[in-house]
Amino acid sequence: MARWYFKRTWQLGEDQVRSLSRNNARPKCFVSGAMVPVRPGVGYVWRLTVSRRPGFHTSLTLDQRGPGLHADPSSIPRTHLKVVGDYLCKPEDNVYSIDFTRFKIRDLETGTVLFEIAKPCISDQDQDAEEESVDVDISVGRFVRYQFTPAFLRLRTVGATVEFTVGDRPVSNFRMIERHYFRERLLKNFDFDFGFCIPSSRNTCEHIYEFPQLSEDVIRLMIENPYETRSDSFYFVDNKLIMHNKADYAYNGGQ
Amino acid sequence: MSDLRITEAFLYMDYLCFRALCCKGPPPARPEYDLVCIGLTGSGKSSLLSKLCSESQESVVSTTGFSIKAVPFQNAILNVKELGGADNIRKYWSRYYQGSQGVIFVLDSASSEDDLETARNELHSALQHPQLCTLPFLILANHQDKPAARSVQEIKKYFELEPLARGKRWILQPCSVDDMDALKDSFSQLINLLEEKDLEAMRI
Repeated sequence: MARWYFKRTWQLGEDQVRSLSRNNARPKCFVSGAMVPVRPGVGYVWRLTVSRRPGFHTSLTLDQRGPGLHADPSSIPRTHLKVVGDYLCKPEDNVYSIDFTRFKIRDLETGTVLFEIAKPCISDQDQDAEEESVDVDISVGRFVRYQFTPAFLRLRTVGATVEFTVGDRPVSNFRMIERHYFRERLLKNFDFDFGFCIPSSRNTCEHIYEFPQLSEDVIRLMIENPYETRSDSFYFVDNKLIMHNKADYAYNGGQ
Repeated sequence: MSDLRITEAFLYMDYLCFRALCCKGPPPARPEYDLVCIGLTGSGKSSLLSKLCSESQESVVSTTGFSIKAVPFQNAILNVKELGGADNIRKYWSRYYQGSQGVIFVLDSASSEDDLETARNELHSALQHPQLCTLPFLILANHQDKPAARSVQEIKKYFELEPLARGKRWILQPCSVDDMDALKDSFSQLINLLEEKDLEAMRI
């Protein structure tokens, strides 16, 4: 699994960097621009452009080199421990018309479907799950908010199924990178290569999530701090970012 | 706990420590194998895989792209990429062959003569495809519960498996979505073939 580590930052705009990391909900800087691979093959260098106002740019560079590398902590601005406070691409960047139509989570140990939601947007409560219950609030297409009960954090293995449709252009090298965070801490990094997608197809993928081992303290903090657990899902076609979805999670449901 | 159990527990802990020190990690999880599952539309690929994953059959619809599932068995996890079998999708099958370690081919034992011929052509193409020709094949003669189902012997003869697939590893098994035991047994045999291939690769 690749880990992000920070390569360097421009000195100009330290204020912007600090304000981004401090205030994720409403960044004072507008984060714009697509992520562009600069040196594919060797390791990807992603350039993230932060613009404060037109004509004034500061670049922060994230360098993905491979598993097991850590940067010197003092050289990483805190903003890079959590990816971004805003979206890294626009909805229009989804030129392949990839549309997510269903999401389902099931407990692999019992086979119970814990949660399922399909387009059109519906609120669903699974009656079969005795302990786990879920509330979903779908606001905008690329953001989802989940509320689970504390029992959800005791699960060990779940199967997460995602279903998506593709427009009439064939898609080569479709890849998803998903990162889950609690506050500044990376809980789980997930990298999946779908490969080729047939035009006008509907595809599903179930992957097995093993819950990371969390200490009781962290579990308690996650329950007591709803929606501070967040995830970013990045979708790439031929190494170009075409979609960025976000979600946040609460574990205090039913209380 | 009895003395024997305590001893066993200590021995196991020693084993874990040994592994942790020497191998720098926990004991290995079940091995995973990447498989591709093909066959004509209606042959029953989605239904069989759903059943193996303990999912309800009601939600199964015709696959119009790929469907990736992780199917757990006691001694392995099979990551199966099932591909739709309709005419307009079959031409893309080969785009998914790369990286496969095994093939599952599902056919409808009770299909029409024309469809059976189409299935035969597709199976032969797969057996000869450069990315699949060295891999183990599990061929499932599905829909055995239908009255018009052809027997395994007839299928073997019609598909010319003996001459064509000579020198390759393949298993031909009858099955139906109602007989889970037979289905699981077929997959166990496939897992054995996959393990053998793994061992072979390690010896090289």
